[in-house]
Amino acid sequence: MNRRFRLWLVAVGSAGLAALLVAACLELPDFGGAWHPYGDRAVRASLDRHTANTVASVNFDQRAFDTLGEMTILFAAVLGCVVLLRQTRDEHRARPEPADVEPPVRRYALIVLPVALLTGLYVIAHGQLSPGGGFQGGVVAATALHLLYLGADYRALERIRPVGLYEVGDAAAACAYLVLGLAGVLAGTAFLANTLLPYGTFNTLSSGGTVPLLNAAIGMEVACAVVVLLARFLDQAVEIEEESRA
Amino acid sequence: MHHLLPLLVAVPLLGAGLLVAVGRALPRVAADTVGCAVSAGTAALVIVLLLNSSPPRTEWVGGWTPVDGRSVGIVLVGDGPGLGMAALASLLTLAALTYSWRYFEEPPRRHAGSYPALMLVFQAGMCGFAITGDLFNAFVFFELMSVVAYALTGYRVEEAKAVQGALTFGVVNSLGAYAMLMGIALLYARTGELTMSLIGRGLDAHGGPDALVLASFVLVLTGLLVKAAAVPFHFWLPDAHAVAPTPVCMLLSGVMVELGVYGAWRVYGTVFSGPGGVPAADLERMLVVLGALTAAVGAVMCWYQRHIKRLLAYSTVAHIGLFLIGIGVLTPQADDGIALYILGHAGVKAALFACTGILLDRYGSVDEHVLHGRARRQRAVAVMFVVGGLGLAGLPPFAGALGKSVAEEAAGGPLAVLYVIASAMTAGAVLRVAARVFLGLGPPPPDAGEYETTGSGEEPETRGRLGFVPDTMTAVPALLLAGALAAGVAPGFGETVARAVNEAGSGGAVVPVHWTPYGILLGLVSTAVAVGLAALAVTRPRLLAAPDWALPLRRLQSGHVGDYVAWLLVGATLLGALALPGVLGT
Repeated sequence: MNRRFRLWLVAVGSAGLAALLVAACLELPDFGGAWHPYGDRAVRASLDRHTANTVASVNFDQRAFDTLGEMTILFAAVLGCVVLLRQTRDEHRARPEPADVEPPVRRYALIVLPVALLTGLYVIAHGQLSPGGGFQGGVVAATALHLLYLGADYRALERIRPVGLYEVGDAAAACAYLVLGLAGVLAGTAFLANTLLPYGTFNTLSSGGTVPLLNAAIGMEVACAVVVLLARFLDQAVEIEEESRA
Repeated sequence: MHHLLPLLVAVPLLGAGLLVAVGRALPRVAADTVGCAVSAGTAALVIVLLLNSSPPRTEWVGGWTPVDGRSVGIVLVGDGPGLGMAALASLLTLAALTYSWRYFEEPPRRHAGSYPALMLVFQAGMCGFAITGDLFNAFVFFELMSVVAYALTGYRVEEAKAVQGALTFGVVNSLGAYAMLMGIALLYARTGELTMSLIGRGLDAHGGPDALVLASFVLVLTGLLVKAAAVPFHFWLPDAHAVAPTPVCMLLSGVMVELGVYGAWRVYGTVFSGPGGVPAADLERMLVVLGALTAAVGAVMCWYQRHIKRLLAYSTVAHIGLFLIGIGVLTPQADDGIALYILGHAGVKAALFACTGILLDRYGSVDEHVLHGRARRQRAVAVMFVVGGLGLAGLPPFAGALGKSVAEEAAGGPLAVLYVIASAMTAGAVLRVAARVFLGLGPPPPDAGEYETTGSGEEPETRGRLGFVPDTMTAVPALLLAGALAAGVAPGFGETVARAVNEAGSGGAVVPVHWTPYGILLGLVSTAVAVGLAALAVTRPRLLAAPDWALPLRRLQSGHVGDYVAWLLVGATLLGALALPGVLGT
């Protein structure tokens, strides 16, 4: 297909779609209205179960089944990366060379690393109380570890990051989420039902029933998954070389 | 009993998690055994639930049963069509896992569990998509099965083609998913609901259809039709099927693509069929036009392929067109026919892919011309390939033939002719391959020029070429064909499927679904046409060689992902244009 024909197709297709979307957006409810059918119900349900952060209540209680699917998408993406970025027959591993790092960069990275890690863990732990939660905190904690790659070099990162262990952690966290869900079925209520634990005192770390547990499982899964994902891509960039170049 | 519905997702996921967690320590045999056992266990659970699905039961996950008709939770629907698709997905996953028992050269080092784990996640995604009654949840599972399918398609990363096919698949399907998500957002803005039935009620309460309803319908359907590979969203499918490992092709062609059709049926029936949705005439125009186009393009392209996997892929495209026409005519009878047709097609198509995989691993090629007369010794595979071809044509008493005849009667007139021609052409191509490859009939065919994708130079998927064919690889296609045949012969099976589909879709209409003289006659006609086409092609290769007018059609399948994206945009616009009259008229 030549360039001109392709551009014509794109022009016709996008013009039609744009017209459709603009017409649809004109019919949307006005901005700033007072009509929030789902929001009102979600806030009420979240307060009923002593979960201060309504978003966490939606994620880990009201629509916890969606979160199961989303967590599994990440899990499957990691598994897919492990398979696709494997070392193939015509590739070999080269040990990474030690690298020199400018002292200011090194100092900054090593100071910020523990702070960032702690921030990540804090965001996970307070997911049911304040904005944040397992998904966000997991990413912060996982990327914090990689400050070591900036501050020192790849070998230092590899020492604190046994990828195999993180892969097991990823799978174990996913299983933990599922087991918490199955506990509801075994107890005779429903899958992922938040009826097993007391709801606790509003706005404390242990409030919300199973919400903090599911949130922690997600935090662990995301942190491990991001570490493994980055490790696979860094391996390809730093360590794995094609046979012909060697 | 219905409390167990979420387990259809949870059990395979738990199996996948365990396989990844302990997979490093497991030998390959143990990992494969665990994979098969979990998949079989899930399949058994689906079947038990399916047997108890009348009357249909719903399950609110997390126990969020509605208060005053409103809920914040997610509902799963345990009705016949949903559980039926979940059962089909589970049984095919089990078949694919069994088929790959001695398959694949080697799993990634120290990750013996990753392939069966991916297959189990795929199964969970498909089951979840089939049983969910929540539109956003359907999107989540749509994405889940897509992500796994991209990874499985690119499994053989040593080959550039595999990576290219998986990338195209990924880009086109992700765009479809975004379109679907945007459509869901519009529906949510209008109704404040995510449960499909409640969105439908919300639209009806708002009044007649307007631009927002039209746009959300077009966007959601774009996502589902990309997955279903309807023309012009179909370009990713042949590229992905040609490079994906054979067991994965069995799943992609057998059930994943059909889930797109199922999704369209479910979403229209539950969300858009009311007075506030899209008028029936518009849906009919949209799906029948698109379906006829898909069937025609698929059948023509199928006929002119020599790469056997691509040929089978285009045959899937052609049949998807027939399924879309069937659900588009909006009669309970056609719905029942398509349900049976999908079951029969899944068994036959998966068996044909399984046979092609044997050819690939035994002879290192899937090219019709290169393999000419080389597989004469493979008598069992030859018989299965021919039987599969006849099943594809709609030879009674295959289940697909029963479904096709019921759908033909419901569609009637010129559409019935299209059913006969499209199925005869795709089956004729399969029989032509069988005659050349297994029997060595006719002169070696001429090459048709540069726009041909040959199937030579393919790497076997096993460790070296197979000296003999393992029993698992021949038993699986045999069982799949037997299943497709049994579903057509078993007395009362058609009625049972029809009752389950009507209970969920059309308020329990009672429709006779059985063999009729007219249906048997049409089935025999399309089989005869298929055999005739194959015989003509083999004996007089020049007579049916690709004519000049087919060349532009073949050039469209350029492999350029930008082209496919451009067609996706055009397709969405086309959907909008086809549905526009009814919305303007109200």
